[in-house]
Formats: sequence, structure tokens, C-alpha cells
Amino acid sequence: MTHQELRDLLPAYALDALAPEEAREVEVHLATCETCPGELRTLRQVAAELGEAVTESTPPAGLRAAVLEAIRPQPVAGAEPPVRLGRRQLLFPRGWAVGLAAAAAVVVALAGMGISVNRRLSDLQERLAAQEAALALLTSPAAKTTVLAGTVPANVRFVYDPAGGRGALVVADLRDPGVNLVYQLWLIGGEEPVSAGVFRPVSGRPVIVPIATEFQRYRAVAISVERAPRGARQPTTTPILSGAI
Amino acid sequence: MAGMRGEDQAEERLLVRVARAEMSAFEELYDRYGRSVYSLAMTMLRDAEAAREVAQEVFLDVWRTARAFDPTRGSARSWILSLAHHKSVDAVRRRRLRAVEPLSEALPSGQDVAAEATTALARGRVREALAALNPEQREAIALAYYGGYTQREIAERLKIPLGTIKTRMRDGMIRLRDILGADVAVGEP
Repeated sequence: MTHQELRDLLPAYALDALAPEEAREVEVHLATCETCPGELRTLRQVAAELGEAVTESTPPAGLRAAVLEAIRPQPVAGAEPPVRLGRRQLLFPRGWAVGLAAAAAVVVALAGMGISVNRRLSDLQERLAAQEAALALLTSPAAKTTVLAGTVPANVRFVYDPAGGRGALVVADLRDPGVNLVYQLWLIGGEEPVSAGVFRPVSGRPVIVPIATEFQRYRAVAISVERAPRGARQPTTTPILSGAI
Repeated sequence: MAGMRGEDQAEERLLVRVARAEMSAFEELYDRYGRSVYSLAMTMLRDAEAAREVAQEVFLDVWRTARAFDPTRGSARSWILSLAHHKSVDAVRRRRLRAVEPLSEALPSGQDVAAEATTALARGRVREALAALNPEQREAIALAYYGGYTQREIAERLKIPLGTIKTRMRDGMIRLRDILGADVAVGEP
């Protein structure tokens, strides 16, 4: 779409009246356009006026307490001795068809990235194997690449070999998710997104999150911000980046 | 206007403190916006339980993503309201998907939605501003904002070309901006 076409979508974008694909195109454009963010700012203020003009309803008793309870800090790894976790329970929700070896590879890669998982799991050989597999994938002619885009500036690619069932998220540039938070990668296909692990970016060097699965079962990958250290069973925030696969 | 900007700045500072995980700042933010967020969700969803869920999600998102708030892109107030609207729209659309309502039956007449939404508006100023739009612009904006329909769904339902709906939405929003202008704090970043 041209600048003019995207600009014409801003009023509908401010009203949340675009289809998700269109909204994403607008967001990508906003990241680089000089003038559109200013225009959107005004349109958002108008939309906020519409939002604040509705008849007031009294929130149910207990909502405030529930909200405050939900954000109460929980002990995180690092503040306490490492938690002993079974490999299976560490990152993958029940029912995710992935071999233990693949789960271990992710665990090892995460540990290698300085993530506070049980470091005793990290075994040099496994780590090297996972990195080698990811590197081989990046140079494989069969690999496909999708660039993730969304609401934050980023340089994040998802590289995968559809036939081989192997892939990796390559995070070259992404800001820190914040205190006590991690990024969580989701595979999106059926009714519910499937977690493919959590990670934190490392300043100055790329982070690679290897994944082994049947990619034809999914149509997109997305990244949301979730609570450290383990993320969530299902996304609890709007994904900040996504890409079709 | 000057007061408005001062207010915006106070709320931006509040969000900065929330981003630093200060619970007291978050409580203050909740006390300022809890009612607005819940009221908007309730208007759109008409279901207390669903509105409660949306409000809770909104505040969790505020807590988790306050660091991503960028004051050059809008005020704290419009950020939170747009988050509340976004989540409400998602909930409305999910519900429609689950109900598998055929679009033609799901969508009441645009004029009805517009009329209902505008009479339900408590705030006189915005209600008057909406009344100043032509009926077609008002219908397009009300169906989108309060009804949670996409511009394409609106075009299909009203059997009007998509381009026409886009024009109505755009012209209507620009007109609203002009009418509300003095109160919509449009500070240059």
C-alpha cells in the first residue's frame, strides 16, 4: 500500500475497525513514517473521547482487589535458588507433540542465553548440537524466512524448514521486555496458540530459539510479553510481533 | 487547554512510575481509570462478567507493557482508553465468532446502533459533536467504535462500497476532531 492509502486507513485504525492484516500493515508503516504517528495521535484522542463519553457503570466490587492481586510480585528465579524443573514441564504445555530432545534443546539454548532456568540441565554437548542444528538451518536452501512485524521496532526473523520440521526464531534486535517479564513465542494454528518457549533478548548479540514441530499445522508465529520466568499457558497480552508461516 | 496538558503530563509521570513497577502508582492509575475502562467494556459487551474480564486484562496489560508507552504517540489517557477499546472489540468479535452469527442477522441497522449509542452517551459535549455529523458519518463511526465492526463488515452490511465507508469514517473523525478540538489536547510531541 502507498503512504496515501495507509494514511487513509488511520481513522479506521484509531476506531479499531480494520481487519488484523490491515492493522498490521498500518503498524509497520507507523514505525517508519514521519507524519502518520502525529495524525494518529489526534485521531486516538478523538476515539478516547468517544470511549469516555459512554454511560458510567460501576465496576463490580472486588475488581480492584483482583487486579492488584494479579500484579503482585511473585518470586522469580534468580532471587531464589534455581527451581528444579522436569524438562517436560519447563516450557511446553501438556499435549504439545514435541520430542524430549527438542525440549531439551530449547532449555539448553535458553540457558545459553543467560535465562534463569535450571542451569544444571545444560550440557555442553546438547548445547552445541542445538546451535549447530539452528546454524545449519539458517543456511539451508530449503529454509523459509518470515520477518516478524508489529507494534515495536524489532529485527526478528523466523526461519524454518517446512518439510524437515525444524525451525528457529532469530532475535537480532528487540528491546528488553522489562523487569520480571519475558517474551514468549507462540505457534498459531488451531483454536489455541501453542507455546514454543520463552526468551529474553541479549544486547549486542543475536538470540536463537530452536523449535521442532510440524509447521504445516500452523499458520503464524507471534510473540507476546509474559511473566518471567516461565511465561503463560495462553497469551495474556496482545502480541507485539507476528508473522505468517 | 493548558490544564489539559498539565493533566496529561501528570498521567504520563504516573505511567513512567508504573513502568518502574511501583505498585502505588498503579493503584492510582486504577483509581483514575477503572471506572472508564469498565464502563466502555460494559457499553460494548453488555455483560457484566465479560466487561469485568476485559477490564482486568486491560490493567494487567497496562502493568506489563507500561514500558512500551510512548508519550510522543499520545496521552496516557488515550493509550489506556484505546487499550480498553481494543480488548473490548476483541471480546465482541470472539463472541460473534463463537455464536457463528450470520453477519446480516448479527448486525442491527446502522442507524439503530448509532441512535442507541448516541442516546446512551452521558457526556453532552461528545453527544452534541456526534449530532453535528451527518447521519451517514455518525452511523459509520458508531458501528465501528461502539459496535466493534470492521469497515469491511459495515460496507457489506449496508451494501455500500468500502471506499464510501472509509470516506464517511474519515470525514466524520475529522469533523469530530474539529468540533472537540479545543478540548482534545493535541500537543505536538
